[in-house]
Amino acid sequence: MSQPEVYSLAQTPITSHAFNGDRSQVAVSLSSKDVQIFERQGHDWQPTETLSEHDKIITSIDWAPNTNRIVTSSQDRNAYVWQQTVDPQTGSTIWKPTLVLLRINRAATYVKWSPNEDKFAVASGARAIAICSFDPEGDWWVSRLLKKPIRSTVLSVDWHPNNVLLAAGSADMKARVFSAYIKDVDKRPAASVWGEKLPFNTICGEYSSPSGGWVHTVGFSPSGDILAFASHDSTINIVYPGGPAIYTIKSNTLPLVTLTWTTEETIVAAGHDCQPYVFSGNESGWQLAGTLDDTNAAKSSGGNRAGYGGASPVGRLNSAAFNTFRNADSRGMGSSPGQSAGSGESELFTVHQNTITSVRPYDGAPGAVSRVSTSGVDGKLVVWDVNSVSPVQTLTAKMGGLHLK
Amino acid sequence: MDAFRKIDIDQYEEDVLLEEELYDADPRDPATVLTDTKSKVGAVRGSLSKGDIAGALNLVLDSPPYGPNVEEAKNLNLQTLVSILNSTKSTEIPAIVRALSPDAQDTLMKYLYKGMALPGWGDVSGSILLTWHEKLTEVAGTGCIVRVMTDRRTV
Repeated sequence: MSQPEVYSLAQTPITSHAFNGDRSQVAVSLSSKDVQIFERQGHDWQPTETLSEHDKIITSIDWAPNTNRIVTSSQDRNAYVWQQTVDPQTGSTIWKPTLVLLRINRAATYVKWSPNEDKFAVASGARAIAICSFDPEGDWWVSRLLKKPIRSTVLSVDWHPNNVLLAAGSADMKARVFSAYIKDVDKRPAASVWGEKLPFNTICGEYSSPSGGWVHTVGFSPSGDILAFASHDSTINIVYPGGPAIYTIKSNTLPLVTLTWTTEETIVAAGHDCQPYVFSGNESGWQLAGTLDDTNAAKSSGGNRAGYGGASPVGRLNSAAFNTFRNADSRGMGSSPGQSAGSGESELFTVHQNTITSVRPYDGAPGAVSRVSTSGVDGKLVVWDVNSVSPVQTLTAKMGGLHLK
Repeated sequence: MDAFRKIDIDQYEEDVLLEEELYDADPRDPATVLTDTKSKVGAVRGSLSKGDIAGALNLVLDSPPYGPNVEEAKNLNLQTLVSILNSTKSTEIPAIVRALSPDAQDTLMKYLYKGMALPGWGDVSGSILLTWHEKLTEVAGTGCIVRVMTDRRTV
């Protein structure tokens, strides 16, 4: 089993990360107004350029691998497309921003290039999704809004491989599939399981989260015939629009907030439980297959995984705060504020030490992804081998351990 | 000075999202819900007298009353559930909880929190609710608690 590659990029949360086509550079937003580009140097990432143009926190970044353009969205209600051009004065290559006219009056929350890289979708808090395409006559990016029937903030979007259909997850507890057909850009799409005639804003599917949670993340399978979405009620749902079946997996851990398909029959999803889980299945059913984070193994940094909370039968309920009180109670140890800093008391058994906010394919063609990358609130960027799946330490197994003591 | 926070800004919004749009309403009308719930009381008492606690729990957790206008049925169902919880030996709880379906586990967790939210905890003993809560969390995990918090179909 190969160990995950762990890079600590920052002490601040990473809101979003996106690699370039050959994976030699990565653009991240460190919970700030700027995009930071890192370049791989040996086994390390060195900061190279900073892209500054937004005036509020950046919410999402996407890097088109073939056309080498970066698109960013921010709470300032704007999106910029960044393109590498030669500065006429200095002769050096710089990233030049182009403002996109989004026409939204709330924060932009998520952005994603279409597979052909000629359009992108910007989700927003204005109950709308802006579908942006380039207008060569005006020499700017224009947008058309998908509005109906969205009732709340859109949290994530994903493109169908046909470059026309778009899935969106929203805080009104629904995942939807829309047509984002733009006449001047797209050829008429072939009929699929989602429908035949697809003018702009056709609703091809609408699915509720089973126990009323915000839909955090959506994803089309590599073929585009299956939709997966995860919501804040700690469920992941796999929708087969053709066979009228929806498989729901109720997780017994905290909610998942990001997912990606690695093959037509496997999904990697991660979130508040700080480790990437693998789900697998097909038309006849889906189940949790395991985790990529083998919490029994030693960390790549060496040494046993120190930390409290692992033997707890209820997972993360047994937190640092809990231990502080337990120590104070059983050993009469009172920890004054500041004293415990750096003692590693709150270290988790997982590689990521806080919520994973983004998981993306890293290596391999769509449908045969061999490695995925994750980033999270702990400022770490981790690359995982999707084939080294370990069984999830179930709560009952942990309980068994407790009884033996 | 914080008075502006109390202004109902939704009244100025034309396209306001209403509470009842957030979940699918119970297809049964309130009167049917109440008769259904009342008929369960007898069935549950029958199961309990036979010592079939798992059966009684499944009865009471199946299609529980939720949504507006069914307060009476909600309270009745809670009382029925509490009578089951009270008559269970603490050593039997883990096996019973494990045998429940995931949906029933979520519903049971909703009732446990409802019980704890009652002023003075009603006629419910706190230690009993906490014991059930502990055993249920061991089986269904934090995910079950998260679902109670997100689900608008409150019991």
